[in-house]
Amino acid sequence: MRSAAAVRGPAPSGTEDGRFRRLHVVWKVLRRQRVPLVAFALLVALGALGALAPAILPRDPNAMTSDTLSPVSAAHPFGADYLGRDIMTRMAYGIKVSFIVGLAVAAIAMSAGLACGLVAGYYGGWIEHLLMRAADALLILPGFFLALIIAFLFGGRLFTVILLLGLTGWPQIARIARAEVLSLKATEFVESARAVGASNPRIVLREILPNALPPVLALMALLMSYGILSEASLSFLGVGDPNVISLGGMLSNGLQYATTAWWVPTFPGAAIFLLVLLLNVVGDGLSVALNPHARQTGGRVTF
Amino acid sequence: MTYRYVAGRLVQSLVLIALVVSTAFVLIHVAPGDPVTYLYGGQAVSAEVLAQIRHAWGLDQPLWQQYAAYMGNVARGNLGYSQINFLPVAAILGASLPNTLLLMIPSVLLAAVLGIVLGMTAARRSGTGADYAIGAVSLVSYATPPFWLSVIFIIVFASRLHWFPTQGMATLGGAGGGLARVADVVWHMALPLGVLAWWYSASFTRLTRASIIEESRKYYLMTARMKGLSEFKVFYRHALRNAMRSVVTVLGVQLGTMFAGAVMTEIVFAWPGTGRIIYTAILQHDYPVVLGFFLVVGSAVILANLAVDLTYAVIDPRIRYA
Repeated sequence: MRSAAAVRGPAPSGTEDGRFRRLHVVWKVLRRQRVPLVAFALLVALGALGALAPAILPRDPNAMTSDTLSPVSAAHPFGADYLGRDIMTRMAYGIKVSFIVGLAVAAIAMSAGLACGLVAGYYGGWIEHLLMRAADALLILPGFFLALIIAFLFGGRLFTVILLLGLTGWPQIARIARAEVLSLKATEFVESARAVGASNPRIVLREILPNALPPVLALMALLMSYGILSEASLSFLGVGDPNVISLGGMLSNGLQYATTAWWVPTFPGAAIFLLVLLLNVVGDGLSVALNPHARQTGGRVTF
Repeated sequence: MTYRYVAGRLVQSLVLIALVVSTAFVLIHVAPGDPVTYLYGGQAVSAEVLAQIRHAWGLDQPLWQQYAAYMGNVARGNLGYSQINFLPVAAILGASLPNTLLLMIPSVLLAAVLGIVLGMTAARRSGTGADYAIGAVSLVSYATPPFWLSVIFIIVFASRLHWFPTQGMATLGGAGGGLARVADVVWHMALPLGVLAWWYSASFTRLTRASIIEESRKYYLMTARMKGLSEFKVFYRHALRNAMRSVVTVLGVQLGTMFAGAVMTEIVFAWPGTGRIIYTAILQHDYPVVLGFFLVVGSAVILANLAVDLTYAVIDPRIRYA
C-alpha cells in the first residue's frame, strides 16, 4: 500500500511542508513577543533553581535551628519560620514541587483531554455525546471542591493531588481538540488518507493529531498555572501532602504570624504569585502564536 | 419554546445535583473506614446509637437501598451531624452561607463594574498604551492568589496602617445597634471585599475586552454608527449588551473557582462564612461537615449556573430558540 503522504498532492496546511511553514509562522510571532520570552527565561531559571536546590543551597530545608522567626537577614535572606527553618531554602524546594505538580497536571489533563476530544470528534455518535456531556458536567461541577473532598477522604499524597487536578482539568482541552478534529475531518488530506485505505487509528494519530495539536499546546502554560495554584490552594486548606514542602502549606502555616513576623507567609505566597504570573504571560504569548482566533481577540480559555 | 429550554435546563441541573450527591455516596463507601464515621463521626457512642445511625441511613440494607436512603436523607436536608459539636450539618452550613454571600455578591458586583469599564476602555483603544496597561493590570490581578493578597492586605492596611481590623465580621462586644452595626460590618468587610473584587475583576476585564472586540466587527455596530449615534452609545448601549452574554456564560463556568477564592479569603480574615467552617472541619477531621460542604457548594454552583442561564434566556431571544 502506498503511504497516504504520497498521494496527498498540493500541500494543504496538514502536510510536512505546510506544517513546516506553520511552525515558521509560530516562531515569527513568538520571536516578536519580548515579554513572554523574558517570562519563559525566568521560569526556566526558577525551575533550575528548584531542580538544583540540593546542590546549590547549603541548608537542609527541614533543619530546625534556634533562629525562630528570625527576620530578613544575611543568614536568612527571606527570614526563618517558627521552627527556625530557612524560608529561602524551603521556598526553593517548594518551587520544585510546584513545577513537578504543574508539569504533571498539564501532561495528564492534556493527554486525557486530547484522547477524549480526538475520539469524540472523529467517531461522533453516542460516544461523542457521552464524552462531551461528561466534559460539560465537569465544567459546571466545581472541580476544585471535588479534588478537595477526595484528597480529604483518601489522604492527599502528592501523587493523588496531581492525579485529581489532572483529571479535573481535561474538559476544556477535550472541547478544543474536538472542535479542531471536526474541522480537520472534512479536509482533503484526511479524505485522501481514507481513500488509500488508512486505518482509523492511523488517520487520527498521523493526520489529525499533529494538526489539532497547536491550539491545545497553547494551553500548556495555563494548565500548569491551574495545577500550581490548585495544589497551593489544597495545601493551604490542609489537604495537601504533609510530607512535601509546598508553597501553599508554607503560607498556611505562616498565617498566624502575619501580624508579628510578616516574612513568614509573605515570601512563599510571593513565589506562588510569581510562578502563576509568569506562566500566564507565557500562556498568552503561546496562544497568540499558536491560536489564530486568540491572535485576533485576545480571548482566553479558563479552567 | 422557552418552556422547553427552561425545562431542559432544569432537568439537566437536577441530574447534575444528583450526580454530586451520588459522588458523595460513592466516596463514602470507597474511602477507607466505616461509612458511619463519615456520616456521624468516630466519637465514642454506644452500640445502640451506632445501630440507630446505621438504620437511619439504611446502612444495614443492600447497597441500592442504602443509596436510596442516602439520596432521601440528603433530599430532605439531612446531611448528618458534626462529630465535634453534634449539631446538624445543614444548620451549621445554613448559618454560615449567608455570610459568604454577603461577602461574595458585593465583590462580584464591584468587580463586574470595574472589569466592564476597564475591558471596554481596552477594547475601544485596542493596540494603544492604555490597552497594554489594562492588559498588564488584569494579568497581574488574575495571577494574584487571593489568600496571599489577603495576607498582604492584613500586613499593610491592618497591622501597619491600622486602617482596618485584621479579622472577623464585627467588633467583639458589639458596636451598638442599627446603623452603627452596619457600619461596623462594612468596615470589617472592606479588606476581604477588596481582595475578592481585585481578583474577580481580571476575568471581567479580559472577557469584556475579548467579546467587545468580537462584537465590534459585526454589521449592527456599523449600522448604529451610520445612524449617527455617539461612540459611547454605540459601545455601551449596543455592543455591551451583546457582549455581556458571553461574559456571563463564561463567568457561570468560573463560579466554582470564584467560590473557592472566597472560601480562602474568608479563612485568612476569619470571616464567619463557609470558608471558616470547612477549614476548621478539615483540621478536626469532621467528616460529615466536609461532605455536607461539598454537597451544598456543588449544588449552589449548579443552581447559580442555572439562574444565570435562565436570566439570559429571558433577556436574549436567540437562546430561547436555539
